[in-house]
Amino acid sequence: MTLPADSQKAIDTYLAALRKHLRDLMEEDVQDIVQEINAHILDKISTDTSAVAVAATLAALGTPEELASRYRTEELLKRAQSARSPAYMLCSLFRWAKLSIIGLAVFLVSVVGYCIGGFLFILAALKLIWPRATGLWKTVNGDSSWGLNLGFGSGDPPANASELLGWWLLPIGFILGAALVFLTFRLGTWSIRKFWRPRVWL
Amino acid sequence: MKETTQPPESAEKWEVQLRKGSLELAILAALWQGRLYGLEILRHLETHSDLIVVEGTAYPLLNRLRSLGLVESEWVESDSGHPRKYYRLTSAGRQRALEMSRIWTRFSASMNGLLAPLSPESDTESRKEQP
Repeated sequence: MTLPADSQKAIDTYLAALRKHLRDLMEEDVQDIVQEINAHILDKISTDTSAVAVAATLAALGTPEELASRYRTEELLKRAQSARSPAYMLCSLFRWAKLSIIGLAVFLVSVVGYCIGGFLFILAALKLIWPRATGLWKTVNGDSSWGLNLGFGSGDPPANASELLGWWLLPIGFILGAALVFLTFRLGTWSIRKFWRPRVWL
Repeated sequence: MKETTQPPESAEKWEVQLRKGSLELAILAALWQGRLYGLEILRHLETHSDLIVVEGTAYPLLNRLRSLGLVESEWVESDSGHPRKYYRLTSAGRQRALEMSRIWTRFSASMNGLLAPLSPESDTESRKEQP
């Protein structure tokens, strides 16, 4: 079908904007969506290809941003269920957090989980680099009170202190850190499966 | 003119929720007899029901039904010069449509029984019976 130049331009502009707003998705999915919307527009204007008819058809679809957002939320959360990367999971949860209280709660718990898990992991790694100054010390003060001191870095260990974990910090940090990251990740996939209710727009 | 105490939009909001809830079943029902492409589904819903679906809603919803495994899609060349994406029910989709249809029929029958006294005919009769 050959369209008037202004009609063709309006459709091209709409589809380009839609493609831009769908950029989070996989190229294969984007291609499929854009092609389907293009087919829909062409079917709608099959009897009237005027710029007015095109404008009405595009308006009925909503703005490219609105339309893309309906696809993106569905797609991101769907793919998050089979995601492998914590960063991707967090990105999906952030999107969910903007839509519901449960999403917000899961996102916040996940941020805390990843931070603590990551911190333990980094701590174990620092123990390898600066073994003397990285560890958990029990410090004894002058009045015989004591405290725990978690140190890391390249400086000196704290004075009047005995290290509690020694090289045990390595397995504890790596295993506990990895376990926490893993559990936080699983919490994300489980929550999405359990609580995510796709929205239907009318 | 004095406005009614009940805000008029509350019943409309309820109706919107009702329509939202039934849209998935409506699409599965539209596909019951065979494959259709997006615009055909929309026109089918408009012709066979008073469900007027915003076009920008139907396509993401079809996408979701596909990801849930209830429908499958294929691109088919058409005489109009561009390919169209056709949807058809999978066996899981047919199963789901039957289940939802059963639930709908049972629920609407029970609601109809409950709502019978509210119908205009029975309202007139009950007024007649009153002294």
